[in-house]
Amino acid sequence: MGEAIVVTSGKGGVGKTTSSANIGTALALMGKKVCMVDTDIGLRNLDVVMGLENRILFDIVDVATGQARLEQAMIKDKRFDHLFLLPAAQTKDKLALSVDAMHKIVRLLKPQFDFVLIDCPAGIEHGFRVAVSAADQAIVVTTPEQAAVRDADRVIGLLEKEQIPSPKLVINRIRPSMVRSGDMLDIDDIVGILSLDLLGIVPDDEHVIKAANQGEPTVLRPDSRASIAYRNIARRILGEPVPLMNLDEEAGFFRKMWKRIGLG
Amino acid sequence: MGKVARLARERSAPGQLVTIRGIRNGLLFVLAEDATIAELIDELERLLQGSEREGVGETAGVTAYVDPGARRLTDDECDLLRGILTGKGNLVVKGFAGPPAALEESVKQPYIYKGTVRSGQVIEHDGDVVVVGDVNAGGRVIAAGDVVVMGHLRGFAQAGAAGDAAAVVAAVYFEPLQVSIGDVTRRAPERPSRGAEMEFAYLEGADMAVERMAMLGQHRARSAARRARHSPGER
Ligand SMILES: Nc1ncnc2c1ncn2[C@@H]1O[C@H](COP(=O)(O)OP(=O)(O)OP(=O)(O)O)[C@@H](O)[C@H]1O
Ligand SMILES: [Mg+2]
Repeated sequence: MGEAIVVTSGKGGVGKTTSSANIGTALALMGKKVCMVDTDIGLRNLDVVMGLENRILFDIVDVATGQARLEQAMIKDKRFDHLFLLPAAQTKDKLALSVDAMHKIVRLLKPQFDFVLIDCPAGIEHGFRVAVSAADQAIVVTTPEQAAVRDADRVIGLLEKEQIPSPKLVINRIRPSMVRSGDMLDIDDIVGILSLDLLGIVPDDEHVIKAANQGEPTVLRPDSRASIAYRNIARRILGEPVPLMNLDEEAGFFRKMWKRIGLG
Repeated sequence: MGKVARLARERSAPGQLVTIRGIRNGLLFVLAEDATIAELIDELERLLQGSEREGVGETAGVTAYVDPGARRLTDDECDLLRGILTGKGNLVVKGFAGPPAALEESVKQPYIYKGTVRSGQVIEHDGDVVVVGDVNAGGRVIAAGDVVVMGHLRGFAQAGAAGDAAAVVAAVYFEPLQVSIGDVTRRAPERPSRGAEMEFAYLEGADMAVERMAMLGQHRARSAARRARHSPGER
């Protein structure tokens, strides 16, 4: 029986879709069967980042409303036979995907996959509740900004209410030079405020943007720093004790983080 | 305290000789200042009639406080009033000097919350609140008594929410966005917390001050002395 993990953040644009695509692909790279589910109805992106947009025939709302069977809507990845995407609807009403329908879909997916990765929409309204309702675990994505951390904190409180007890934290778009100069919240501060296990830190990396435009998740390019970060995150989800990468020339910059690395 | 609230609602109206108010610790009987003692006794008898008929009526065992307003009650008058309240209402009369000071009468158990109070979460309690963890920005703790945070206070804390100006807000890392005590609200002091040394906020008249935790004992003694000077004292 697979595990359903929701990728959420509260604040928009912090990297939920990027993280879903890269963690999903990295897990597939390590031989796991993965289905990514895009629940951002009306603003679907995951298909674009994965380069699968042109293969969509049906979407998750079609499945929820019985217009299509789950197998008809699931898209097989270009690169991996055991990586699938269930795309969001682009034009239909947001409320068309209910908590019940989401439960049913995820219940059907879990026995077929090792991981069901749910890409959550921004905000804490209906779409958030639907995405979170069917999850066993959560990954909270934030960036080193006050507003993003504040929203992450709010979301963690709501996840506790939904009986998702100990979400894992991904801090995205870290720039070591800015952290060092004090212009960015440092990782210790963020982990201190949110008091969560850290699953990984991802550097701000232009490869991410290039890759997204080419429909190739960054994680497939072994030379980018973000790629290494996402691979490490996937390995931690699988239970490997991978230390945090040293983003800085200055040795030991993240050494004090050791004890706080959270393992899936 | 449902029955008390009901009694207070049903049997009091503005302009009455005796107004009954439900307070945290029981019932407060507010006596009109321009009424004679005889009128007040009549009115109390009328108000408490129902309670007597019902035997162990709805007020039985409830604590009563009498607020005489500006008038001075003689010992005899106090005895008369006490006789009616205990005789007709089965009330336990605690004092003739108005509502009790919230701090002294705080009988509620403190509420101990273990965990992080996150943005959007509210912890509210009719007594002292102890948070074993952090209160993050956007989180709120509201207490009728004191608020004590055994971690970072980054959010909003309200102590003495029922009006107790002697309540305090304390935290190991005192970095709140806002603090309220009684009806006074202040923005955070614009200085970094000293950290690792617990601090508390308290009211000095209408001003709010922050002091090292070690000073809490002295603060308590000072405000107790001040209260004793200003209140007429129970009889
Ligand atoms: N580590 C990174 N380095 C550089 N750019 C990044 C990184 N992570 C995300 N981005 C860019 O930030 C933008 C927003 O990312 P993404 O779409 O993943 O966010 P999101 O949280 O899914 O947004 P939404 O709330 O709209 O769904 C994208 O343009 C993406 O390419
Ligand atoms: Mg997205």
